[in-house]
Amino acid sequence: MTASPAPRAAAQRAATIRALQTALAAEHTAVYGYAVAGAHLAGPRQQVVTRGWIAHQQARDTLIAMVAALGAQPVPASATYQLPFPVRDAQSAAALLALLEDGLATAYLGVVALTSDRLRLFGAHGVRTAALRATGWRGSTLAFPGLQPAAGG
Amino acid sequence: MGQLTRRGLLSAAAALPLAAAGCQGLRVLGTPPRPLPDVAVLRTATDGETVLIAQYTAVLAAQPGLAGLLDPLLGQHRAHLDRLRARLIVPPGAATPSASPRPHVQVPPGAAAAQAFLQRAERAAAQALTGGLTAASPSLAQLLASIAAAEASHALLLGPSRRAR
Repeated sequence: MTASPAPRAAAQRAATIRALQTALAAEHTAVYGYAVAGAHLAGPRQQVVTRGWIAHQQARDTLIAMVAALGAQPVPASATYQLPFPVRDAQSAAALLALLEDGLATAYLGVVALTSDRLRLFGAHGVRTAALRATGWRGSTLAFPGLQPAAGG
Repeated sequence: MGQLTRRGLLSAAAALPLAAAGCQGLRVLGTPPRPLPDVAVLRTATDGETVLIAQYTAVLAAQPGLAGLLDPLLGQHRAHLDRLRARLIVPPGAATPSASPRPHVQVPPGAAAAQAFLQRAERAAAQALTGGLTAASPSLAQLLASIAAAEASHALLLGPSRRAR
């Protein structure tokens, strides 16, 4: 509480970089996952997945610029990603996309915890967008997107 | 997730050393030395959920055919209210915060109009929660952002493409 301004600013900057890097890693994963899932979707859902794939690339680029502006090295995409389950049809593709969006909601909630108003609202926008997309893929809503179920209510 | 919780705890601990004593950053909300803005934000948020629950209840009474769509959403609002209330520590002797009277709800006639009415209510609620974000502590801001995202998602499910026939 009595930390002098300089170390506190450094700690805040480090926390900001950490939260943005986590969101960036989640966007990298989404870009990969949308490409995988898109191969199993047809018709209107194929169009939605393509739009989502492009939107996640744009979000990724935004986060790369934000991290770089803070003087840090943006985390790169992994060479490979382990899928949580085999994606073989439209149903498992939609389930993967819903799960990816849940992960994004969690990652953007980390940005909401930062003290800057601007970043907080940016994070909240990310959580909302992820929850809306997850709802589209799942056909139902979560009570607390991005958060674990309450312990004991 | 573990990271999120830890970050929330750390920020709470920076503001209030007592936070380290409890496992949930929020338990310290009612603690002196000074009133926290979280209390006002929480009251507004719990009032908003109370109104939404009353609106859903009124629509369900008027349009029981919507139960399949609305019951899960109403259940999530009850979960929101519980989780928000769990963060409000009321000092002994203070008036209970949850004693607000049930608001009167005017439901428009017809299933589609009633559904659209709830959709507007969800959107307005999500916007109101987002408005309180910057005044809240980090961990409360996360809860508000999550609930706002849930309410925006409810509005999506209440949209015309899924509207009652």
